[in-house]
Amino acid sequence: MNASVLWYTSQATGIVSLVLYTMVMMLGIAVAGQGRLPGLPRFGTVALHRSISLLSIVFLAVHIATAILDSYVNISVLATFVPFASSYEPLWVGLGAVAVDLMIALVVTSLLRDRISPRIWRAVHWLAYAFWPIVIAHTIGLGSGSGGLISGWELWLTIACVLAVFAALGWRIAVQLERSRRTPAQVLQTMRSEVRA
Amino acid sequence: MTAIDNGAREAVVPQSPPSQARENGVLPSRPLNVAEHRAYYGALPAADRLPLGELAARIGHAGVRGRGGAGFPLYRKIVSVSGAARARRLQPTIVANGCEGEPASHKDKHLLWLAPHLVLDGLVLLGRELRATRAILAIEADAPNGKGDLVRRVREAVSERDVRQDGVHIELVEVPGGFIAGESAALVSTLNGGPGLPTYTEHSVREHGVGGTPTLVQNVETVAQVALIARYGADWFRDYGTAAEPGPQLFTVYAGRRQPRVVHSAAGAPLWPLIADAEPIDAVLIGGYHGSWISAPLARKARLTEAELGVPLGAGLIAALPADRCGLTETAHIMRYLALESAGQCGPCLNGLPRIAAAMEQLADPHHAARYAGIVQNLQRWSGMVEGRGLCHHPDGSVRLVRSALTVFRTETAAHRAGVCTGGDRRPLLPAS
Repeated sequence: MNASVLWYTSQATGIVSLVLYTMVMMLGIAVAGQGRLPGLPRFGTVALHRSISLLSIVFLAVHIATAILDSYVNISVLATFVPFASSYEPLWVGLGAVAVDLMIALVVTSLLRDRISPRIWRAVHWLAYAFWPIVIAHTIGLGSGSGGLISGWELWLTIACVLAVFAALGWRIAVQLERSRRTPAQVLQTMRSEVRA
Repeated sequence: MTAIDNGAREAVVPQSPPSQARENGVLPSRPLNVAEHRAYYGALPAADRLPLGELAARIGHAGVRGRGGAGFPLYRKIVSVSGAARARRLQPTIVANGCEGEPASHKDKHLLWLAPHLVLDGLVLLGRELRATRAILAIEADAPNGKGDLVRRVREAVSERDVRQDGVHIELVEVPGGFIAGESAALVSTLNGGPGLPTYTEHSVREHGVGGTPTLVQNVETVAQVALIARYGADWFRDYGTAAEPGPQLFTVYAGRRQPRVVHSAAGAPLWPLIADAEPIDAVLIGGYHGSWISAPLARKARLTEAELGVPLGAGLIAALPADRCGLTETAHIMRYLALESAGQCGPCLNGLPRIAAAMEQLADPHHAARYAGIVQNLQRWSGMVEGRGLCHHPDGSVRLVRSALTVFRTETAAHRAGVCTGGDRRPLLPAS
């Protein structure tokens, strides 16, 4: 196989993974905020969040495997799991390794969710908020297509991903604020004015 | 009951009630101090006169049910608390719940005012039975009581106790009032220094209650009944009431415009004599604000049993609505109170009850009721949507009231839909604050 095929497969699956994880983040935020997607029942948000995160494992696996197999740069198997053990770009590859470890923790605890304490699951799941920025940093460091700092359309795509997650977080905070302000007395007032209108 | 239980009961012959208690009723007519209490009810059976298990067996035989509203069998609670305490090698905590919460109900405050030592005796007995050394009497801080300072009265009674003789140390805890503050998980949360709201826990308070110990939370009237059963026996208890609902009971009765009174009665007694003063009546509210309305014809002929009334006796409120009052206005008034008393923790309750309350107000106002169709259908639909979906039973009890109003006040509903109200007096009858 041509060496560049492996390289570009790795780069492409990396970008796809970024987009998928961005979607997983947004859906996770929507689940936490009890939001509802148009055209989907409420449980659909959870189901989609779960399915896309499992789907992304496939792309991540291809991303890692091709990065190891590829001879363009030398990344050992160890370096994909142990942070900062890589000889090539130790910082950026190392961040990728941290993300992989976090990803494993998130998936394993979620698959074992029925068997572990909800508190542990919850604590581990909060790590998603660390996982995703690390993925972004990893992408910025290595996502150019040639191994350097990101540029061109990949940069714009990454910016779009960041904005999307920020928008979701903004929505979540706004919803939470609105909900925490709501008291039975306030709801009763609203209902009365609706009735009188 | 097993043969062993029966054997144990024969070993300890219950006293018969002293003449005063027999003649004047279960409650005295004036507050009793500890000496007067002993003279009125007889001495508390000493610890060696009631072997372990004997009291629980008597309670089981007597068929005591919680008098706080839910009517859960006391014996089953004792069994599960003592089981949890044994399994976890912890001393359980006993809580007598004097947080009446409901503005219309006075029977718990009445009992604590007249016979606080009966409740304290019950706490001591339950404490001995469950091998607890700590018991708590929780009462509402600044509980409105027409007769005087209830908190001070109960504090004096607690200080009159002899802890060495009792073997159980009783703490008096003042708890902020509120409709749901007396719900057992909410009460335990308050006692643990929490926010005093119903909680979601994997284990009930029977397993994880005050300070994490297995906790028996029981309404003060039920605790007082334990003190009477320990003295006079299960058969004495079963002489009152019916086979299905045995035991003497306290009721808060509203009959007409007079102040409410607390009466001592039992299931199976005719309802009408209690409310005859209020005639002509339109309907009667049974149980409490989480209870149900029944129609006047039924109230005139029925006896006080769940089977005949079709609704449980709950926390013992009996409120007759005079014919010149509007049942829908009364229900809207109570429903508004219930909606505002929601802890706001569960979506169906936070959003549903105010919505139902607003629609009830709309229905109570003939001008609005005539203009908007579909209020009743909406009320029915929303009631179904909140039922069974709260951490506590506040939404369930609230929609029970609304549903019974829609059934009992059918003619009023039709009149309001036509733009007229049949009740002349639109002031609310029952307190709601």
